[in-house]
Amino acid sequence: MIRKEINKISEVGKALISVEGNPGVALNHVVELLEADTNQSLSFAKAINITEDSTRFQVFNGTAGLSTKTKIRMHELPLTAGYSPKMLGRCFDGIGQVADGGPEVIFEKQVSTRLDTLNPTVREVPKQALWTGIPMIDVFNTLVKSQKIPIFAGPTEPYNRLLSQIAQGASADVIIFAGIGLKFDEYEYFKEQLSASGNIDKTIMFTHLAGDSQIKGLMLPDVALSVAREFADDGKDVLVLLTDMTNWSNILRNVANYQDMIPSLQGYPGSLYSELAKRYEVAADIEGKGSITIIGATTLESLEDPVPDNTGYITEGQFFLENGKLKLARSLSRLKQGVNGKTRNDHRAIMTAMASLLADAEKAYEASEVGAANDAFSQKLLRYRADFIEHIEEPFGEPIELEPALDKCWDILKKHFEPTETGLSKQLIEQYWN
Amino acid sequence: MNSEKMKRKGTLIAIQDSLVKARFFDDVIMGETAEIAVDGKSLSAEVLQIQPDPKNADAGIVEMQVFEDLTGALIGDEVVFTGKPLSVLLGPGLLTSVWDGLQNPLYKLSEEDPYLKPGMKAPALDETALWVFTPSVKVGDTVSGGDAIGAVPEGKLNHKILVPFDFGKCKVESIIEKSSVNITQTVAVVSDEQGKQHELKLVFRQPVKSPIPFKARAIPTETISTGVRVIDLLAPVGYGGTVGNPGPFGAGKTVLQHCLCKYALADIIIMAACGERAGEAVEVFKEFAELKDPSSGESLMNRMCIFGNTSSMPVAAREASVFIALTVGEYYRYQGYNVVLLADSTSRWAQALRERSGRQGDIPGPEAFPMDIPDQIKGMYQRAGADRGTGGSLTFIGTVSPAGGNFQEPVTQATMDSTGGFWGLSQDRADAKKYPAIDPLVYTNSVYDSFISWEHRQDMVDILHEANDIDQTISTIGLKKVPVEKYIQYQKGLTVDFCVMQQNAFHDVDACTRPERLKVINQGVQNLLNSSMEFDRDAMNDEELKSMIKTKFDELRQWWRDWNSNAVTDEEISTLPEKIEKFVAQEEYAL
Repeated sequence: MIRKEINKISEVGKALISVEGNPGVALNHVVELLEADTNQSLSFAKAINITEDSTRFQVFNGTAGLSTKTKIRMHELPLTAGYSPKMLGRCFDGIGQVADGGPEVIFEKQVSTRLDTLNPTVREVPKQALWTGIPMIDVFNTLVKSQKIPIFAGPTEPYNRLLSQIAQGASADVIIFAGIGLKFDEYEYFKEQLSASGNIDKTIMFTHLAGDSQIKGLMLPDVALSVAREFADDGKDVLVLLTDMTNWSNILRNVANYQDMIPSLQGYPGSLYSELAKRYEVAADIEGKGSITIIGATTLESLEDPVPDNTGYITEGQFFLENGKLKLARSLSRLKQGVNGKTRNDHRAIMTAMASLLADAEKAYEASEVGAANDAFSQKLLRYRADFIEHIEEPFGEPIELEPALDKCWDILKKHFEPTETGLSKQLIEQYWN
Repeated sequence: MNSEKMKRKGTLIAIQDSLVKARFFDDVIMGETAEIAVDGKSLSAEVLQIQPDPKNADAGIVEMQVFEDLTGALIGDEVVFTGKPLSVLLGPGLLTSVWDGLQNPLYKLSEEDPYLKPGMKAPALDETALWVFTPSVKVGDTVSGGDAIGAVPEGKLNHKILVPFDFGKCKVESIIEKSSVNITQTVAVVSDEQGKQHELKLVFRQPVKSPIPFKARAIPTETISTGVRVIDLLAPVGYGGTVGNPGPFGAGKTVLQHCLCKYALADIIIMAACGERAGEAVEVFKEFAELKDPSSGESLMNRMCIFGNTSSMPVAAREASVFIALTVGEYYRYQGYNVVLLADSTSRWAQALRERSGRQGDIPGPEAFPMDIPDQIKGMYQRAGADRGTGGSLTFIGTVSPAGGNFQEPVTQATMDSTGGFWGLSQDRADAKKYPAIDPLVYTNSVYDSFISWEHRQDMVDILHEANDIDQTISTIGLKKVPVEKYIQYQKGLTVDFCVMQQNAFHDVDACTRPERLKVINQGVQNLLNSSMEFDRDAMNDEELKSMIKTKFDELRQWWRDWNSNAVTDEEISTLPEKIEKFVAQEEYAL
């Protein structure tokens, strides 16, 4: 097939180029940029803004080195991603090209990266727990297959180590790692951890390193999630790890800025919520098929920043990582009610009781800082708080199954409180206290 | 009517995201809808603005928002203007339906493809279902817009078949006998004053931005039993009222909405899942179908319909979804029913307007929202109300998702200004897992009547305030400095908060408290508050005494919580005031 070519680029900016006139490119369709003399392929680009006078493209590999003479070859298709089960164990870039130096992958098919919305009627109501062996998650904020949940963490927290720990313990058929703006050592760390745990054969990595072309980073979640969808449609339970979505949002902000879009908060485009939602909503338990669970990492300075704030409204809860601990106070799994009523009969009650006591303990702790926690009960609460942080909020270490974890909770309560101080029902006290 | 030649057409000249411009030569009507032919599919759009064409004096340029993904659109693609504004199909079969934001039935679409693809459409209401129509007018009668010409049973409701609201005076030329018909069949023919004949069916289309009128608008007077104690006691809402329900994420807006869906006493609940998580809407239409309606005992879905424009669906359709839901609510209010509309979330609706105005290049207001956003929000809430003329009402409860949980942002502020009730969810209470996290001290405003007297309501608010003040004192100067009397007040306040304000939404009994039970609880609270507790001050020092008081109150609270979950029979329920009386008199400690 002979593809139409355009010979004149009128404008080259950061990540964007424009041509004059209307060459007949459709919205979101892909073109290939070629070196004028040699016809060597330089990059792909996507049409994002078309008028009868000009057409604007996002350039996947960045615009450095492009000239007004660079040739544009039209592909007359939107961006697709290659799919094949042979992708397992391999590493790709943000537009699905092999990036590990290994042999080319022969794809079974090309899939759309448009991320069409799944019809809500074919979603299952999520009911299957995804156990992690981390008590803070399993007991207090149980993860559920098809859930979308971020880890909120300061930039220096070990969030990638936590993602890796969850990935190793989680019982998913396929793990898709999608890294945007990664530092090289993070990338190597994941690879090593996954190889060491023997999970590399069920993992596909899509990686974009800090400094790589911005548009490739921007496209990466769409490509990774489209591939994840194919596996889920094939009946697999897929776990997608998106890290770090703040990097991704910052690229989105940059590109919106290049396009002169009116910013809403902190320079982010008004569409930030919708753009994040479009990706996170891919998480689903699909009727008669598999599931996609998404755990994202969102680095933040403040919870009120637009990225974590919008993310919180989109996702089904969040995990808070602070000083290397998974904090109970602000963590929440919105789907836990669907699974934690079918476990041991003390599960929900102990979760509520311990959380409530911890909230009181936090107040006592604040009071103690000004020397006001001088009564006996406040002292009890302070000791409880220290114990809780050390033994329950610690996410790293040997995995613990749910029932031993619940027993551990009872031990902590017994150590510090009288039965009536716990707010637990008489029946449970009788069953578990002694 | 419209032959191919008569169609008004245009061609695309600019495309970006969901916004397009087209050149036209005839005439275009502001607000009308259009169909754009893209890649063999037909996509719906709405006219936003009409401008002159600088390149061609004979032509004009129309700016439109497109309700579906435009991938594949080309300059020169054909636009056909429909002449009709965005409208909703009204008639029997609305209840139990689950649509997208433009009233496409989702179950029907899923037969075609599990994914929602651009251009997919299906009739809004089932065209094959048969309804038993009973006429209520006869040939020769005069009817006009909004009058009933007959009725069909829809579940337990009597669904009146109305003359479309934009009709003037008409004469009934013919009408069918009582029989089973579907929505495509003609049931009557009427002629207007110009003698033009119109066929009437069980259904008609109503423009969503033209409110259906009231017969006789009235101030809401009757309070809705929502089953949620803190609402029904401190921040009630009347039939026909408006409530804004803001809260940061994780504060429990969704759980509260689901509680209202399940337990609020109303004939019809409409849910506009506007730009929120798909999973939450799914939970409603898949799980609630198994639950029972508190007033009829039938499946909850029989009193519901759902518009699901979830967060990953096209943004342009988000604005439409709220107006479509409002219009359906007004339609049932006109039929004389009490309708509760839950819009989750109005912030996403406002953000859709923000995205659009940003793309149109409008000068932005605060936080880049359109300058007129407060007026648009007020206009939306104004469509709720009670109708003395029909006996129906439309209650509008809108959740607000303030950026950063900050209630000072434009949408929350405009909402506070527009609504009669305000349920502000507090992050602190949510963090302490005190649910529902409506802060009884700060954010319980309401112009509607409570189920208990004003004085008793005030007593509860006062003790909560007092306890909160003492709590602050304890945190700053320590418990030792607090006198025993104050400490008792503190414990009383904690008890009211813990046992009355907090409620377990996932417990069968505790999740829903009806007015009769509220009255018993109120009696218990009165008994607790209105008598002083005397202790033998010589038996122990103050610290030991406080410690003992705490133990006693802990026991009371545990007993009361058990009562909340376990007291079901009248006899069990009636034990509460007496227990508290004995507790205060210290006659019985082993509660």
